[in-house]
Amino acid sequence: MIESRSDKVFSVIVYILLSTFGLLIILPFLNLLATSLSDQVAVSNGMVSFWPKRFTLSAYKFVIQNKQFWNGFKTTIFITVVGTLLSMVVTTLTAYPLSLPKFKGRKFFLILFIIVMLFNGGLIPNYLLINQLGLRNNRWALILPGLISTYNMLLVKNYFETLPMALYESAKIDGASEFRIFVYITLPLSLPTLATVALFYAVGFWNSYFSGILYISSPDKMPLQTYLQSLLNMSYIPAHELSPEVAERLSTESIRAASIFTATVPILVLYPFLQKFFVKGLVMGSEK
Amino acid sequence: MNSTIETKKKKKLWEHIDYYSLYFFLVPGLILIIIFNYVPMAGIVIAFKNFNIFAGRTPIESIIKSDWVGFANFRRLFNNANFLRAFRNTIVISTYKIVFLFPVPIILAIMITDIKAKWYRKSIQTILYLPHFLSWVVVTALFLQILGPYGVINNWLKRLELIDKAIPFFGNNDIFRGLLVVSAGWKETGWNAIIYIAAITGINPQLYEAAKMDGANKIQQIIYITIPSISSTIIMLFILRVGALLDAGFDQIFNMYSYVVYEKGDILSTLVYREGIGGQDYGFGTAAGLFNSIVALVLVLGGNWLCRKFFKKGLW
Repeated sequence: MIESRSDKVFSVIVYILLSTFGLLIILPFLNLLATSLSDQVAVSNGMVSFWPKRFTLSAYKFVIQNKQFWNGFKTTIFITVVGTLLSMVVTTLTAYPLSLPKFKGRKFFLILFIIVMLFNGGLIPNYLLINQLGLRNNRWALILPGLISTYNMLLVKNYFETLPMALYESAKIDGASEFRIFVYITLPLSLPTLATVALFYAVGFWNSYFSGILYISSPDKMPLQTYLQSLLNMSYIPAHELSPEVAERLSTESIRAASIFTATVPILVLYPFLQKFFVKGLVMGSEK
Repeated sequence: MNSTIETKKKKKLWEHIDYYSLYFFLVPGLILIIIFNYVPMAGIVIAFKNFNIFAGRTPIESIIKSDWVGFANFRRLFNNANFLRAFRNTIVISTYKIVFLFPVPIILAIMITDIKAKWYRKSIQTILYLPHFLSWVVVTALFLQILGPYGVINNWLKRLELIDKAIPFFGNNDIFRGLLVVSAGWKETGWNAIIYIAAITGINPQLYEAAKMDGANKIQQIIYITIPSISSTIIMLFILRVGALLDAGFDQIFNMYSYVVYEKGDILSTLVYREGIGGQDYGFGTAAGLFNSIVALVLVLGGNWLCRKFFKKGLW
């Protein structure tokens, strides 16, 4: 079928707009990268836009030698790997019985988990609880409270419900236990959804900064994002209010850019490979 | 004969045990939500007490030993100008975000699904979803780099001699809410388009074929086929979005704001953090948090009720 003139114009406009949006997403990263690779004179004179000026790697040298950055990296890797693994175990274990129509008390337990999604005690009681449990300044305080998300659990449960019951029944006849069915049938058949949910958990742990602010006091246990957050401070105040410290602040500009960029590289590298999973998994899990 | 009855009995028993093992699946999850969700809910009593952290050796002991004060903390709340301001800001910022940002993912999804070239469609989706996976710490750093006093935008404006002093995008009460809307749009629009893209790709292609036969152009196809076909998705997401009105974006504002913009940018959750944790006014913080949670709950339940009523399908 021949496209009419107006449809061609429409398509061209769509390409232009989408490309503009794409650029708007990419350009800030280029600016950050360029800043991190430019020297102090270029940055403080406003010479840097999207290409490094007076190229230098000194900001990255600083980051690589920065103990706090690497300690943060280690803490973050620990909480991301351990947190995601435990989250997946707890989430799938919870989702499995809740996905079985024959499971008595299904509705009751489901409601228990949904209440948690809708209502919470708020910041202060949670904060005091961590103190009560003696988890202050302990990495587990960054993992345990966020270990199970009702939203993710429902996503998994909804997907489990789409699996053919006949498979379960024939496994039953062969004498398989519930646990065996769960491990050898349910989980392997749900990989795209599980990958999606694992990605959500991993990103959540990787990005969490606030619990680090609340619960971690020693710098060597601080997660990466909490450390990066501390680099943001004192930067928003209008220039004229800062004038005595301006010079000092500017010297940190490239360092901040290099730190943020280095911390984001793992996401930038892994993300395109995981993308095909999450779109599929998200759509499948949300459709009943 | 006897042995088959025996094995049948055994099998029955085993099936019984096997069925009850399902309850053990739930144990880890239940323990977690009881400790980290239900116990803090009990901590809400702090809102009705004159809580003194030093009254006991542990927080729970302190809660027990502190005196009941009824609704005194809430009276304090509603007489507090900062609280009222934060409540107003929460609603206003959230409303801005809904008004300016809710329609964008729909338009974006319509545009993306119009693209025929697969490689382009894939790449643009990859790029547009990316910011969703960054923390607000990183996104704030990116915006700070661009819009800060020495950022690209201010440099260009200065070079073009449109301004002689840097525009304090992060430190101006007239601009701050705009910054919140724009940065939230930058981060989440692509991601929010996913569900609309799925809805649009699910539309029967024959509808479009028939429309083309009748000579409908693309704009007409969008108005008469695409939009009506996804209208229930749009309405449902709108109801859910309004239900989340009290979530004005804690992480975003916590990272972007400073005392200069409290006037237009301070919201309930940031106030709870500053007064409750920073100022150690636990009673005030818990009461403000409880107020927030209750209003939010009512809105979410209302939204869910509407969804169930009109679409026979709720949030859960």
